[in-house]
Amino acid sequence: MRPLRLIYTLLLLLLTLLAIGACTSPMPQHPDQLQYAELHFQPPDVEKLVLSNGVRLYLKEDKELPLIQLTAMIGAGAMTTPQEKTGFNSLFGSTLRTGGADGWTPEALDEQLDLLAANLSASMGPYVTQMDLSLRSVDLDQGLEILSALLRRPAFAQDKLDHARLQAQESVRRQNDNPGAISRRLLMAALYPDHYLGFSPTLETLAAVSREDLVRFHQTYFAPNNLWLAISGDFDRQDLLAQLETQFGDWAESDVTEQVLPPIVRATSGAIQVVEKDLPQTTIVIGDLGLTKDDPDQYAVQIMNYILGGGGFNSRMMREIRSNRGLAYSAYSYFQTGRRFPGPFIAGTETKNSSVVPVIELTREIMADLRDIPVTEAELQLAKESKINSFVFGFENTHSVVGQQMRLDFYDYPDDYLSAYRDNLAAVTVEDVQRVAAKFINFDNQQMVLVGNSGDFLKSLEGFNLPVREVVLDESP
Amino acid sequence: MKKVFKLSLLVPMLCACLLAGPVHGSSLEDNVVEHRFANGLQLLVVERHDTPIVSAYITLGVGSVHETSETRGVAHLLEHMLFKGTETLGTTDYTKERPLLEKIEQVGSQLDRLRLESKPDPEQVAALEKRLDELQNEHKQYVVKDIFSNLYAENGGVGYNAFTSKDLTTYLINLPSNKLELWALLESDRMKHAVLREFYTEREVIHEERRRSYDTSPNRRHYETLVSNAFTVHPYRNPIIGWHSDIANLNLEKTRDFLKKYYAPVNTVIALVGDVKAEEAIALVEHYFGDMAPGTPVPNVAAVEPTQKGEKRIVDIFDAEPRLAIAFHKPTMPHQDDYVFDLIDQVLGNGRSSRLHRSLVEEQQLASSVSVYGAPGSRYDNLFVIEAIPRHPHTSAEVETAIYAELEKLRNELVSQDELVKARNRLVTDQLRHLKSNSGLARMLTSYQSLSGDWRYLTTYAEHIEQLGAEDIKTVAATYFTPSNRTVVMLQREGSAL
Repeated sequence: MRPLRLIYTLLLLLLTLLAIGACTSPMPQHPDQLQYAELHFQPPDVEKLVLSNGVRLYLKEDKELPLIQLTAMIGAGAMTTPQEKTGFNSLFGSTLRTGGADGWTPEALDEQLDLLAANLSASMGPYVTQMDLSLRSVDLDQGLEILSALLRRPAFAQDKLDHARLQAQESVRRQNDNPGAISRRLLMAALYPDHYLGFSPTLETLAAVSREDLVRFHQTYFAPNNLWLAISGDFDRQDLLAQLETQFGDWAESDVTEQVLPPIVRATSGAIQVVEKDLPQTTIVIGDLGLTKDDPDQYAVQIMNYILGGGGFNSRMMREIRSNRGLAYSAYSYFQTGRRFPGPFIAGTETKNSSVVPVIELTREIMADLRDIPVTEAELQLAKESKINSFVFGFENTHSVVGQQMRLDFYDYPDDYLSAYRDNLAAVTVEDVQRVAAKFINFDNQQMVLVGNSGDFLKSLEGFNLPVREVVLDESP
Repeated sequence: MKKVFKLSLLVPMLCACLLAGPVHGSSLEDNVVEHRFANGLQLLVVERHDTPIVSAYITLGVGSVHETSETRGVAHLLEHMLFKGTETLGTTDYTKERPLLEKIEQVGSQLDRLRLESKPDPEQVAALEKRLDELQNEHKQYVVKDIFSNLYAENGGVGYNAFTSKDLTTYLINLPSNKLELWALLESDRMKHAVLREFYTEREVIHEERRRSYDTSPNRRHYETLVSNAFTVHPYRNPIIGWHSDIANLNLEKTRDFLKKYYAPVNTVIALVGDVKAEEAIALVEHYFGDMAPGTPVPNVAAVEPTQKGEKRIVDIFDAEPRLAIAFHKPTMPHQDDYVFDLIDQVLGNGRSSRLHRSLVEEQQLASSVSVYGAPGSRYDNLFVIEAIPRHPHTSAEVETAIYAELEKLRNELVSQDELVKARNRLVTDQLRHLKSNSGLARMLTSYQSLSGDWRYLTTYAEHIEQLGAEDIKTVAATYFTPSNRTVVMLQREGSAL
């Protein structure tokens, strides 16, 4: 070992000397002097297949490490949950994961997954329900057997549901521990009044969910023709397809009716909610409704948001609030693109209680400038270059690649979404940025939530021309 | 229990995919190209050509543990300050800027000294504050804001960041692979010609960071209280970010000193992982970093934590639901007991079938979660921590009692073969998962190279834990899980029952 290593090192040294010998040019002193080779990159292909019973498959091999990742997605989610059963999604996800399956007690399942050092999780979002499994490639057959058992024949053991409920109720009891969580909860409720997207669970709504609700959801929506599977990693394609046939091939198709999603209703006006919590810093969040994935303005919005607060140190919020004034550690904004309904557009920061009013004023000034004054060509270029040149990083992780393709198809994105993505960004103009800023920045509609020691600023909020409401949080139940 | 797969098969199969063993014809051991330059700088390169990107990590073997009582928080403050540019980048004209920076420092230092007086003259303070403000405003004309961030972003960089730990400071970026030379230029310039501009503003940013990350967060605050009480002498007790009074008393002189003393090639490990050619990477690093003087190694911390003689018990008041944490002193790597603690981590707290989860969360339902981990660093002897969230109406005290019952079992009875196999599988497989991304691998390589002097800690790891068994666990548990070796912190509201 040692002598070999020595030879290797010497060889490398030699190579280094040669390379340096070749590299006689003086060291560039400034990035402007650097020249870069062209980078050619096209999104990698993902194999798509459909089993005879309608299971949709997305596959991509990656042999570097002996690991495999699987994502199983059911095309139905929690958005139709009635308000009085809010929290159904978390109880469904937990109990699907922990409640056992035909042939598996909950304990045996956990024991086996731990023996395999496998990671398994289940969760239900507004639009879809998802299971994720990560395991060693030698264990693929067992993993597929378990995944199939849970998807097709979950037991939803009553005691596991009861336990999941107690756990979720404990989370409700702890929901006011962190200012960030409080602000987010109140903001979503204000942005989506009387809608699933704004509801949060209570002890009562969690108590109202029954095992029957879980079973009914499973019976209604878990079918091979409503199942999407993304698989990546170190597998042999033929073996994998054979195993999938064994585990899912005899699952009969059934009629799955599409969920009818409740429409959202925009809040009639903006407001400031103030939550008194004795902390040395106030959490500030400002929100409005943003856009859906079908909005043609989404590329201009990405650029506008980069300049506003999405571009880290290159954004105006970070530069003015943090870097120039030292008023905060983080300052950010983002648009969460909604799949079917407009997602939220949120800006936020945290500052010492005595700086709350100046920081809100500054944030508004930054927003107003974006709306009223064209951004500079340099800012536009930086935002575009950054987004376009970093596009390649969306494809490092093979499982993200298959998962992304699966979701693009599920949500009916255009076929050329990825291939046209960079061109769409490149086409954004200064005028586009100003136009979408005017479209999405309306102070009268903004919902603001402040959590902190409000004595320092409560009286000074009137200047923002929004109704101010003091919110008293429930004592821990 | 149905469907028990043959355990005996698992072990040899695992060996076939160990890091040390062949991974499809090659292994990590074979894939890491290692180079030490004449000035002591170390470079580790792993070629991965699937996607045209590269992760670049620079790790300095210096962290908050190397601070003194006069400089607590400086490692982290310096990390922030190194985002501010150099003599050529981040300035419109350094020759004009420099005298102004000196004036700012002069006034700022005067103001800092005045504020430390027992009764500072408010008029004098106000006058200096005004002067500092004016100078800082004047300085703005010479600043090109956040130039590193700007250049990296423009060139498609993502994840541009830095982090300071107790043991290390790391600067990282992921770039499209055709832009690697930009990294070499910027980072070598940062090491050689940093200018610590906008200091007084950044110091305020760090106060806000402390408020955000510790003062308003029950879990971070709980952890800080635990660590700062578990150690009496060793600087591991001090928060990385510093206490507010520490931050307020850091100045440019201390920050510059720390930079000059420790940011040197002999203390630096670089990892480049991704679409690069090893020989080109070596030449590039030589070209940009090769002319730096070696510098002197970071000295070892002299303080030795005395053996704890008796339980420490702290109540920490915070407006949040109760939380419990228990810490036991333990040796760090590469002590054999540290490997045994990795197995204990798994047996007690990792996975739904682990002992603490099954007993406290699932069966007795006293806690909504239990987690175990090692903290706060790995360069010096550290702590084994158990954290639990009691589930209402159960109390931290009930949860604590239940935890000790499980620790007693570990002290008195041998763990099962199944538990051992689970623990080993989990450790080795999770390690693999950490190596998956370029940045994960770069991070592991620089950390272990810097901490243990050899990144091969990673590749020999599985072999080590394979040799440890149930007896070792029992012995280690009996040695360290004693009342006099523990620190217990209960976080709760004022006036609430234990």
